Amino acid sequence: MIDLVQNTIDGVMIGSSYGLLALGFTLIFGVMRRLNLSYGPSIMIGGYVGTVLYVQYGAGPLAVAGTMILGAAIAGIYVERLCFAPMRMGAGIASMVSSFAIWMQLEQAAILVLPRHTYPFPPLTTGAPLEWGPFLLRLDHLIMLGCALGLTAAIQFALYRTRFGLALRAIIGNPVAAHLVGINVSVAVMLAFAAASAIGGVAGFLVLSVDQQVTPMFGMWATLKGLIAMMIGGLGSIPGAILGGLLLGVVEAHCQWYFGPQIRDLAAYIVLFVFLLVHPGGLLGRAPGSDIAAPRTP
Amino acid sequence: MLDVTDLVTAYGKIEALKGVSLQVEGGKITCLLGPNGAGKTTLMMTIAGVLQPRRGSIRLKGAELAGLSPARIVSQGVALVPENRLVFPHMSVYENLLAGAYQRHDKAGVNADIERMYARFPQLHERSEQMAGTLSGGEQQMLAVARALMSQPRLLLMDEPSLGLAPLIVAEIFNIIAELNRDGTTIFLVEQNAHMALQVAHQFFLMEQGRITFKGTPGQLAEDEVIQRAYLGTRRAAG
Ligand SMILES: Nc1ncnc2c1ncn2[C@@H]1O[C@H](COP(=O)(O)OP(=O)(O)O)[C@@H](O)[C@H]1O
Ligand SMILES: [Mg+2]
Repeated sequence: MIDLVQNTIDGVMIGSSYGLLALGFTLIFGVMRRLNLSYGPSIMIGGYVGTVLYVQYGAGPLAVAGTMILGAAIAGIYVERLCFAPMRMGAGIASMVSSFAIWMQLEQAAILVLPRHTYPFPPLTTGAPLEWGPFLLRLDHLIMLGCALGLTAAIQFALYRTRFGLALRAIIGNPVAAHLVGINVSVAVMLAFAAASAIGGVAGFLVLSVDQQVTPMFGMWATLKGLIAMMIGGLGSIPGAILGGLLLGVVEAHCQWYFGPQIRDLAAYIVLFVFLLVHPGGLLGRAPGSDIAAPRTP
Repeated sequence: MLDVTDLVTAYGKIEALKGVSLQVEGGKITCLLGPNGAGKTTLMMTIAGVLQPRRGSIRLKGAELAGLSPARIVSQGVALVPENRLVFPHMSVYENLLAGAYQRHDKAGVNADIERMYARFPQLHERSEQMAGTLSGGEQQMLAVARALMSQPRLLLMDEPSLGLAPLIVAEIFNIIAELNRDGTTIFLVEQNAHMALQVAHQFFLMEQGRITFKGTPGQLAEDEVIQRAYLGTRRAAG
């Protein structure tokens, strides 16, 4: 029983990083109706900038976090300008394929510049875990959960209470009409892309500082976890992204405990498969067709 | 007020506008009639800046609009009520109106204008918190008109506002058009409903296959000829 609860707690904590990854992913998907496969690799580039700062200049975790978030945002803008801006009004497949090509490009660039397989990453806290009855709570995990919930609230606020949020929701609703009311769609989409990649940067920093290392594989890992959590939660749904992430984390934690670490990643795919089969809209996605993720009709 | 000269707009290799020239007089209602596929929507989208022309010029009181972004064109005082209304379906009626004023920064003025829209369109007031996607077709059309008016346009472009609406609603829409014009807004209206359009228009143009083929006042051409050409086009009608 204690194990069950402890595993659930660990799952929620790890899941909050998946949720954060899904948050950025779902923001891009909601605005563009496009899958950005380069999402994870953009974050990985941020991580590489971070590790250089840490190893070369001995920067502290906060400076590394700031640089990594900025690096991920800039890499995100690069991806948007290259893969998405030129094909805004059509060619969903083309922009997805070109984002895959940029994934490979970013990964190779990272390997060329820093050829070793792993580089160290600064831990966020080194304090002992908190004890809560028989259960252990890691401080960095709590920070992760706090960031996930805080950023969800911040995004909801930005989307529903600000002028920029109104513009983004208008673009989601009907991009042609957004042009017609005088929204600068191209700039708004680019900013949304940068913000989403920055959120990915926050998630990436938290995960890497728990792992205390970064590898070129981190990009693929981030894209996969974010994608699966987003799809479980419901494409384009902000609260769904966090819920999907938490659910994925909990399922993984239990599977690892009962069946071993090999089964852990398999479990993620099984959960995704089951959702796609019985409830393709995800936890909070609306029924296909009425969803904001429905195909846009210009 | 609006001078379009030799305008060419193409989708890929296919020219949908093959050198269109027309004028919209200030303070009047000008109507553009023509069969499906003539290029009316293409013209509206080109004036609004959503489509870029290959050639030609679009002047608003002498100032060139061709090449400007849609946002700049809105701030120059041109607003389009698009074909099929294109309201923001998952935003409330109120938020749709707010989005219509996106280029404006006078908050008090915007709020006052929203109140004016509510007074003019009481259905919108009743449903101000409702998602626009749940409104009836007629209400969505009212919302699309009100949203365009929120930018305080000097020139209001309307692309088939009667499309798919019941006759009673169509009559109401045309009443609103006449009323807006009486209050001083210049209107450039695309219509399929030639009968209704000829009743409100001061001046009209016929467009067929990407070209203007007639320009005149409603009395100048027998209504059934206008209707025939507006629905069928000259070539097929002659054959
Ligand atoms: N997005 C598009 N891509 C290619 N061709 C188009 C597109 N939109 C319209 N057309 C073509 O341009 C011509 C004019 O269309 P349109 O401007 O919609 O006419 P109208 O509004 O008068 O019915 C038609 O032949 C139509 O098939
Ligand atoms: Mg049309």
